[in-house]
Amino acid sequence: MAEETFVLEFPSSYKWLNMIDLMCTEITAGMDFGRDALNEISISVIEACTNALEHGNKCCPDCDVRVVFRRREDRIVIEVADCGEGFDFTDYLQHIPDPSDIHKKRGRGIFIMKAMMDTLKYEKVEKGGMKVILEKMINGSGKEGDD
Amino acid sequence: MKYKVREEGNVTIIDLSGKLMGGYDADVFRDMVHELIEKGRKKIVVNLAGIKWINSTGIGILITGYTTLRKNRGDLKLLNVSKKIESILYVTKLNLIFECFDDEHEAIDSYTRG
Repeated sequence: MAEETFVLEFPSSYKWLNMIDLMCTEITAGMDFGRDALNEISISVIEACTNALEHGNKCCPDCDVRVVFRRREDRIVIEVADCGEGFDFTDYLQHIPDPSDIHKKRGRGIFIMKAMMDTLKYEKVEKGGMKVILEKMINGSGKEGDD
Repeated sequence: MKYKVREEGNVTIIDLSGKLMGGYDADVFRDMVHELIEKGRKKIVVNLAGIKWINSTGIGILITGYTTLRKNRGDLKLLNVSKKIESILYVTKLNLIFECFDDEHEAIDSYTRG
């Protein structure tokens, strides 16, 4: 199967997350993911989009969040980009706080995506902003190979 | 997020519905918890049956409620945790913090058991 690509840009408002979730459900339908995996993809996409609109775009309605779904034979790849100032993701990914620490107010979102997807990567966007790339393999986790 | 507050003896049930995702929801939930504490109602069960989505910020809202109540010698327990929410609690190990129930009577009775 050739890669099928779906692109959506939406203003930084929570109200559009329902549409993203529906789109995600439609795109992953027919792929060979189990129910748990589909839940994990849905949770991670919503997490990435809320991070982008909250922390990246600071909820500015003039700033869009760009979501790209790449449906491939063996995996789904999802890219979520904001147009904010970005952050030092290398350092951040190495020092993710313990998510069970109830005194930590932030950091759980990235931990959740890392735990639920096979690959989590951050890239700086040329025009400014950050892009998170999430990958989920069909038929089991690719995590072992990533380590 | 929408909510309803009801009383079952000395236990307060908060029925949440819609999305629990931060922003305005955090203020609403925090104010609700403070109001209940001021009224002396510190045994809380949050019913998540109507919650369609939750994200890490929404989990943070519940944690803030939990820590506020614990500081005031109260507690916050969860009822009707969906598969999605359960998986978030599991990967973040917060399932070790929150007491979760599938049955409302059991949740209420857990307070009388101490």
